[in-house]
Amino acid sequence: MSTAVRSGPISANQAVLLVARREFVSQVRSRSFVIGLVITLALFAGGALLGGFLASQSSSKSLGIVAAAAPLRAGIEEAARTQGLDLQITEVDEATGRADVQGDRRSALLVGTAGSYELVGRDTVDSGLEAIVATAVQQQALRTALASAGVDPAQLAAGSQVATTTTEPVDPHRGEQLVLAIVGTILLFISFSGYGQLVATGVVEEKQSRVVELLLATIKPWQLLGGKILGLGAVGLLQLVILGAIGVVGASLTGMLTVPGAAFGMFVMVIVWYLLGFFLFAALYAAIGSTVSRQEELNSVIAPMIFVIIIPFILTLNLLPNDPRNQVATVLSYVPFFSQTVMPARYALGVASVWEVVVSAVLALIAIAVVVRLAGRVYRNSILRTGARVSLRDALRGS
Amino acid sequence: MLDIDGVSKRFGDRQALDGVTFSVRPGELFGFVGGNGAGKTTTMRIVLGVLAADAGEVRWNGKPVDAELRRRIGYMPEERGLYPKMKVGSQLRYLARLHGLSAAQARASIEHWTERLGIAARTGDEVQKLSLGNQQRVQLCAALAHDPEVLVLDEPFSGLDPTAVEVMSGVLREKADAGVPVIFSSHQLELVERLCDRIGIIATGRMVATGSVEELRARDGSTVVDVHGPPSGWAETTTGVDVLESNGTRTRIKLADGTDDQDVLRAALAAGPVHEFRRWRPPLTELYRDVVQDAHTEEAPA
Repeated sequence: MSTAVRSGPISANQAVLLVARREFVSQVRSRSFVIGLVITLALFAGGALLGGFLASQSSSKSLGIVAAAAPLRAGIEEAARTQGLDLQITEVDEATGRADVQGDRRSALLVGTAGSYELVGRDTVDSGLEAIVATAVQQQALRTALASAGVDPAQLAAGSQVATTTTEPVDPHRGEQLVLAIVGTILLFISFSGYGQLVATGVVEEKQSRVVELLLATIKPWQLLGGKILGLGAVGLLQLVILGAIGVVGASLTGMLTVPGAAFGMFVMVIVWYLLGFFLFAALYAAIGSTVSRQEELNSVIAPMIFVIIIPFILTLNLLPNDPRNQVATVLSYVPFFSQTVMPARYALGVASVWEVVVSAVLALIAIAVVVRLAGRVYRNSILRTGARVSLRDALRGS
Repeated sequence: MLDIDGVSKRFGDRQALDGVTFSVRPGELFGFVGGNGAGKTTTMRIVLGVLAADAGEVRWNGKPVDAELRRRIGYMPEERGLYPKMKVGSQLRYLARLHGLSAAQARASIEHWTERLGIAARTGDEVQKLSLGNQQRVQLCAALAHDPEVLVLDEPFSGLDPTAVEVMSGVLREKADAGVPVIFSSHQLELVERLCDRIGIIATGRMVATGSVEELRARDGSTVVDVHGPPSGWAETTTGVDVLESNGTRTRIKLADGTDDQDVLRAALAAGPVHEFRRWRPPLTELYRDVVQDAHTEEAPA
């Protein structure tokens, strides 16, 4: 031989790792990875800022009140307290009050006397404020009516109360749990759809450029497919870890997050379910991608996959926030293809225990074993067949 | 020795290969010629294990070619296969490593071959930024980097400029001289004739002829002679001679079996001065045409 190089045997593991490393390196070095990361971060930061802004908007109001309406003041303060609204009441003359409202220095101005109260806003009156003032006005009217009928208002109030109590202590962190669940669900959705799509695109790229023929002359189809899924899965994992870490640290530092333990638990849960869900979807994406020969044909054949991923996402966001113990969601959290999205959200809301998660994960693993086998078969039978689209039935039956 | 032994392959109801059998010896440049769809690419894909044969076997040194042996074959597919957005250098290293080279071996080998093929300056560029000819050099580099024991190249010369053809021919000759059996397909018959030690002609999935150009010529058995000098008319009256072409003082004749060429020369001299009396050696293009025609006429009644 002319040169001293001599190729040694290469094990299946080495082949898979070489393929995975190429996928990982070329993806992480690509501009789209960095851009995607920045965009996602910007979206989440924007969402957090917007949420904070809205919260600060709703919590503090100021009401001007003319001297004639002053008897209502105590009633309004009482109503605001029970509604949890931070309300500042100042007595002003009508002209100054109107100018303040016009200049946005005051939320609203109350004018008039009993029977002819009027709430003045700039172009609209805050509905919360309106409700509070209305309650106070009703209370006052009721008290006047009761007094004239000879009934003691205090006695009536004591006799018509309903108390509420819960069998479990009220979770003071429900709100944060909900945010964790929603953020986790969105992160999973982004990862499944984004990286699943990358697997399909990568498979078609190899088929379209015919590099697959060169690769399959030296490694087996399952090694190529396995390496590709592992490599791209690792990229998705990296993105998830970066986003998750920045999110948890950022939210803790800014004081938005007061339950770092729960956040960390959810972080781990999102990563576990990302892996389980990714292998399931990536195998399907690869199988479907292998049936077409050109990128242009890919979009139409993978459209159904978008639904497979988006349906559990929508169900989770619609069912769980208002009703964490929703029965449909509870059942779906064990069903593969739904569990990867529903179960972590249930866990974040504190309504699924660890053993439930484990059972669901085992079911997901069984589904992965079946799906990967079928997908591998489709891939093996279609990856070298260029030209017309290979039907899934043909691909499953074999060449 | 690389033996392709009785390989058959059917796609749907089309018999793509029908008992294809030939051998390529170490150190031999084997030209594989045939029309479009005759079965060249299918045969090569089967040798590489990219396609499975329905029947027959491919052996290297007597042993059936398995995955481990295939890794030591250098392959250049007909539809070039490279990642368009990957850099030339990292792409070649990746492919070399998949063929079992260590990182250091891969680097050294890629350096050697990119230098040899004149693409060393382009290793940092994405493949899609290279001209098609240069992409083809990269493809050859990918086939050579792991120092293969066998080279299988599908249309390595198509689309190359004359300089690149010279470089490619030189490299193939060099590999063959180093003891590697080299099989390549091509439609450029002059090139195949000039370069190859032996040639295989395939038509509609069957090998219709194999051998050196000389052997292919001998296949017909007849002797054709070009005579230049005597004015036309002399040959028609000579016994044992068939006139194929006649144009002024140039005559092409076919000698019947048992005809002594010296007798024919004397007859020509009697008709006028002879400036040239030369056995005509048909070029491969003509041999190819005859062979393929024969194959089709044989097949027609069936």
